[in-house]
Amino acid sequence: MENKICKIVKNEKLGNFHYLLEFENNFNEDFYPGNFVHIKIENNFLRRPFSVCKFNKNSIIIIYKVVGEGTEKLSKKKKGEYIDVLAPCGNSFPIFKNKKIAIIGGGTGVAPLIFLAEKLKKYKNEIDFFYGAKSKEIIFFNILPVGINYIFSTEDGSFGKKGIIFDVFKNFFKDIKKNYHIIYASGPEELLKKISLFSNKIPVFISLERYMACGMGLCYGCVVKIRQNSDWIYKRVCKDGPVFNAREVIWD
Amino acid sequence: MGLKILKTRLGKIELETPIIMASGTFGYGIEKIDFIDTKKIGAITTKTITLYPWKGNPQPRIYETYSGMINCIGLQNPGVFYFVKNILPEIRKKYEKIFVSITEKTEKELMQIVKIISKENVDAIELNLSCPNFEKKRKMISQDPDLTYRIIKMVKNETAIPLIAKISPNVTDIKEIAIACEKAGADILSLINTVKGLRIDFKKMKIIDGGLSGPCIKPIGLKCVYDVYKVVKIPIIGIGGIINGMDALEYLLVGASAIGIGSGLFNNSHIIDDIYFSLIKYLKENKFKNVGQVIGLLNEKD
Repeated sequence: MENKICKIVKNEKLGNFHYLLEFENNFNEDFYPGNFVHIKIENNFLRRPFSVCKFNKNSIIIIYKVVGEGTEKLSKKKKGEYIDVLAPCGNSFPIFKNKKIAIIGGGTGVAPLIFLAEKLKKYKNEIDFFYGAKSKEIIFFNILPVGINYIFSTEDGSFGKKGIIFDVFKNFFKDIKKNYHIIYASGPEELLKKISLFSNKIPVFISLERYMACGMGLCYGCVVKIRQNSDWIYKRVCKDGPVFNAREVIWD
Repeated sequence: MGLKILKTRLGKIELETPIIMASGTFGYGIEKIDFIDTKKIGAITTKTITLYPWKGNPQPRIYETYSGMINCIGLQNPGVFYFVKNILPEIRKKYEKIFVSITEKTEKELMQIVKIISKENVDAIELNLSCPNFEKKRKMISQDPDLTYRIIKMVKNETAIPLIAKISPNVTDIKEIAIACEKAGADILSLINTVKGLRIDFKKMKIIDGGLSGPCIKPIGLKCVYDVYKVVKIPIIGIGGIINGMDALEYLLVGASAIGIGSGLFNNSHIIDDIYFSLIKYLKENKFKNVGQVIGLLNEKD
């Protein structure tokens, strides 16, 4: 984990509340799908965590929704300005080869899945990417890797199938009878819960979100209940996660 | 680092620098973090350990506030047996001086954990006297001078390891508690622990009732150290809202012999370097030979 000051390449608005932020990659370490960056917000005490959506040797991309004062301030940052970034944080998704894979994402939760899909594609996996959004204008078409089968859904029906992405996935699964080897998911906790309870045969890996303080595994502020033997313990989303085997998560 | 100018002491304990990692905000110091130079750290205080594992509180556990944060982690920890076997040897590899923070809910359990830690190679035991429900009394030990005295006395009888008493600012008169600690035989005082605070999470419509930390509590911490320095002879570790070198210097000037870094690390990743270099710079520019010359410079013993 390193702490760098990075120059903003782009901070573009998409729809009413969503942004795509691209900044220069000054890090020595490599990033893996699932990793997040912890960004300092001027005059706020705590940093804000964002999943990495794209990574290459020149730049890093995150996508975010303005939900509070931290993201509001971040959205005001202009090209050429600098941000203070702690990264790479957290663990990453396990990567497999030559598998049939379903990726399911909702809203800004698709961010780490875009990075993941790109990686999985290199390892000759057959990927169906179920991408759910509220409406068409907040689907991040420009940064989606090619050569992947996308199934879109929007809640307002403005693009793809109308409805919730989980229902679309469930129906698709029923109709096609596809034997997925692995499912990956990220998005609202309700969606993750449904997916993890959907099948007890297919391994499911999910990325969780939490309010975070340190982002380094020091404060135990961002936890999730994880099965351990016949009991459970609280594990740190910032350090032991954000990626967890969904089967091990206990949903409250 | 071999720089004499920053050497300080807490009674018999000599520290290479006055920078101490406070309990609870640095885990067990064993996470790999490249930008933290452990050689600049005088001592590490572990996250509080209890006799048996504590699961900790449910989410949400943290919330940002103006110039700080509230936490209600609930002392999640793996228990002393796991700590001694698996964690302590790892800490020993990285740090010169280790202070182990402990607490428990009953006297009996507290004495058991003291016994276990006393057999280990640690430099001090920090007694976290802010456990909120000791012996079901619905208050912290350090909110009651008589109880504070009795508990410290008992612990001192059980161990030869230097004892640090970490006390809460949530009292009418912190001097009274500090005096009780000293009389009972505490070797060092850590002040302050977090200040009680509360916030509402509107999204979840839940209350975050916990301990406030960050720059917003620095004036409270400074005032406590200032007042307590006057009435005790034992050294003080000043903690509360430090995010840079000048904050640390303020604590030294009012009487702290060392300072503790808490949640300030979350705000300023370079806090250790910042404090280290700006203290050296200040001391040199103002012709002080060592950090000892500024400790209590703006304060007087009664």
